[in-house]
Amino acid sequence: MNNWRFKEIVVLAALSVVFAVVYLAFLPVGAVLVGFFGPIGYDFIFGIWFIVSIIAAYIIRKPGAAFLSETIAAMVEVLIGNAVGPMLIVTGMIQGIGAEAVFAATKWKNYSTWVLMAAGMGSAITSFIYGYFMSGYAALATGYVLAMFIIRLISGALIAGLLGKALSDGLAKTGVLSSFALGKEYRRKNAA
Amino acid sequence: MLLNHLNPSIKALTVCILVVHLAFVFEPMTVFLFLIWTIAATFIFGKVNWKKYVLYFLPFFIFAIGMLWTTIAFADTSEHTNKVINMLGLTLPLDSFLVALALSLRILNVAALSLMFIFTTNMVDFILSLIQQLKLPPKIAYGVLAGYRFLPMMKDEIKIIHAAHQVRGVSQGKSLKDKFSKYKRFAIPLLASAIRKAERTAVAMESKGFTGDRNRTFYRQFFVTKRDLILPGILLFGFWGAWFL
Repeated sequence: MNNWRFKEIVVLAALSVVFAVVYLAFLPVGAVLVGFFGPIGYDFIFGIWFIVSIIAAYIIRKPGAAFLSETIAAMVEVLIGNAVGPMLIVTGMIQGIGAEAVFAATKWKNYSTWVLMAAGMGSAITSFIYGYFMSGYAALATGYVLAMFIIRLISGALIAGLLGKALSDGLAKTGVLSSFALGKEYRRKNAA
Repeated sequence: MLLNHLNPSIKALTVCILVVHLAFVFEPMTVFLFLIWTIAATFIFGKVNWKKYVLYFLPFFIFAIGMLWTTIAFADTSEHTNKVINMLGLTLPLDSFLVALALSLRILNVAALSLMFIFTTNMVDFILSLIQQLKLPPKIAYGVLAGYRFLPMMKDEIKIIHAAHQVRGVSQGKSLKDKFSKYKRFAIPLLASAIRKAERTAVAMESKGFTGDRNRTFYRQFFVTKRDLILPGILLFGFWGAWFL
C-alpha cells in the first residue's frame, strides 16, 4: 500500500463509485434475464461486474489495483443501499482476487489484451466457485452448471476484458490519465 | 431503538455470518422459520419505515420465483427417491421440490438480513466503524468516502454533458440504437470528469495534511459494548432454534 500515491487511491475510488452505480443498474437487468432463463441468466452479463478490476488495474498498474477497486465498488454498492447487503463486500473481494491473481501471475508487468481477458476470466472462476456454494448451484444438474460456467467465462473475457480495455483506451486518449501508468505509456507511444 | 444504535461493524459481521450459515441449509422449514424470525427482529428492535421496506423486498419475490422454477426444471435428477408431490396439476419429485423451495426462501432470507442492515445503519458511520473496529486502512476508507461524495455530483455532470451535446446539435436518440450510442457518448466524458475531480480532491486532502496514517484521532468514535452482542445472540438463537425444530 505504501507505494501507492493518495491520488491513485482516490481516483481508484472514483472509478469504483462510477461502476458501483453501473453494477447496481445491471442487477435488475440480470434479474429479468434470470426470470426468463433461470440462474444462467446472470452469467450472460456477469462480465460487467468484473469490469472495474480490469480498468483500474490497466490504468494504475500497481499490485492490488484489481482487488481494491472491486472491493471498493462493492463497498459503495452497500453504501448506496442494495439488498444483497454487507455480504456483497465479500463477493466483491472474491471477484477481485480472481483478476488480481492473473495480474500477479505476470508480476504486474504485462497488461496486454490477452492478459486483461484472462483477468476477466479469473474473476469468473473465483466468483463461480463462490456462487456454487453460496447460491446452491449444487442442486442443479451438472450439464446446466457447466453451461453456466462456460458462459460466465466468455462473458468475463469479453465484457470485462475487452470492453474494459476499450473504455480505458478511450479515457487515455482524452489526456486525463497523464499522471497514471496508462497515460504515460500513451505519451511514450505518441512521442516515438 | 436498539438496532439503529448498534455498532455497524458488528451488525455487518453478524449478517455475513448468518448468510454463511444459510448457505449450508437445503431444507425449507428451517429457512422459512428463520425468515420470519429475521423480519420480526427487524421490526421489533429496529426503527424501520415499513412501506419502504416492502418496496425494497418485493423485487426479491420475482427473483425467488425464478429460482424456484429453474431449480425444479434443471434439478440434479441422479439421486431421487420415488416420492412425488402434486402441485398446480404438475407432478414433481418431492426431493427437488423441497430443495428448490429452500433455495428460493434462502434468497428471501438473505434479502431480509441485508435489509435489516441497510435500514438501520448510517453508511458513513459504517465506514468510520470499519476503520476503528476492523482496521481498514484510513487511506482507503477516506478515499471511499471522498468517492462516495462524487455520487450526487455525477447526476449534475450527466446533465452538463447532456446540455453540452444538445447545444452542439447531437441527435437525442429515439431508437434503441441511438440510445446505445448515447451511452457510448456519455461514458468517456463522465469517467474523465470523475477522474479529474478525484485528482483535485486528493491534492486538496493532502495539502490539508491528510497522510492516511493509522494513528489518527476521530471526531466520531465507535466502540463495541456488551449491548452489541445482543443482535448476534438473538439471530443465532433463532437460526439454531429453527434448525432443531
